[in-house]
Amino acid sequence: MDLSTILLWVITAGALVFSLIKNKQKTLASMKMSKNMMKNMIGQILGILLLIGLILTFVPPEAIKGILGSTGLFTSTILSATIGSITLIPAFVAFPLVGSLVNVGASIVPGVAFLTTLTMVGVVTFPLEKQEFGVKFTISRNILSFIFAVLIALIMGVFL
Amino acid sequence: MLGEMLKKNKLLTMVILVYVFLSFFMPDKAYSSIKNSWYYIIEMLQIMPVVFILTSIIEAWVPKEIIINSFGEKSGIKGVIFSFILGSFSAGPIYAAFPISKMLLEKGASVANIVIILSSWAVIKVPMLANEAKFLGIKFMTIRWILTVVSILVMSYIVALFVKKESIPTKKVNTNEVTKLQIADKYCIGCGLCEKALPQLFEMTGGKARWKESSFDNEHKSGLEFIITKCPVKAISLN
Repeated sequence: MDLSTILLWVITAGALVFSLIKNKQKTLASMKMSKNMMKNMIGQILGILLLIGLILTFVPPEAIKGILGSTGLFTSTILSATIGSITLIPAFVAFPLVGSLVNVGASIVPGVAFLTTLTMVGVVTFPLEKQEFGVKFTISRNILSFIFAVLIALIMGVFL
Repeated sequence: MLGEMLKKNKLLTMVILVYVFLSFFMPDKAYSSIKNSWYYIIEMLQIMPVVFILTSIIEAWVPKEIIINSFGEKSGIKGVIFSFILGSFSAGPIYAAFPISKMLLEKGASVANIVIILSSWAVIKVPMLANEAKFLGIKFMTIRWILTVVSILVMSYIVALFVKKESIPTKKVNTNEVTKLQIADKYCIGCGLCEKALPQLFEMTGGKARWKESSFDNEHKSGLEFIITKCPVKAISLN
């Protein structure tokens, strides 16, 4: 375990002890609630993690670098942002997925675009959102989110 | 039962089938795939308890009802901050934020604030930041967080310019009606809170809350009103 993970564990354990002392019942009740939510995701999490192994075995790092790397950074960023917009996987598993691609040499810029559109732009949930907030709101929010996801990605490419 | 499980875990089923195929025909590839995944499974096991506990503690202590009740027409900078807090400290995917946002809109929250709630609900969840820092580094997480907050503010301003509140439909979403009570299936995140509070009225099937139709009568009314406010995504409503 690296240092930052240990630090997170210490902070989290401290907060848990404090929460339990302050109100044991309340804490346990919300833990039960989170447990049920997590249970719904566990299959997807394991599925993605096992998929990462397959990708890393069958797609050589050079190919990943080629697709998501040097060749046409802007195009690959737009492409990843589009993939992120139409996919519906929990953000939870998107981080190890992007992390695994970056570890074998892919550029982070398309990865960031994917991470942001994955959660913020919803093509699949578009009908739901339209029903609740109207066409105009839904279109402008989603298009702006897409544009800003690409912008965030490009700026991060400069910083990192 | 098995069919339902397979249907719910389509991805996992498919991936496992690939692994089974590989272990028969290309055992060396199956072995190295498992080895490659192993690292990420271990990393995930290290961070999952943290995310789980943080989510629980936030759910227990962030006074969401107070925040929701203080939204009004003239909330100004306070409204912006409350919107960020509400979005960042909530659990569940973005569409779980739709009913709450809709309710706040009807209570007087501005279009800009709704954009902030939806966007921060989507991207800047606090327990998720721990997960992001784990796999992509603290520096990566911090920079992305700052850029995202700024982007959300600018976006909320632009959307509010384009979209007037009057253009947003006020009609209730059509859900599967059961007597007087409605559970918006699409929004239910399967937390099980309603089943725990009123097991005689609710049950969980396939990860979603179900209404036990037979047992409704007026004596449960106050309990129902309680669970309607407690439901973290406001998926339950009485008509």
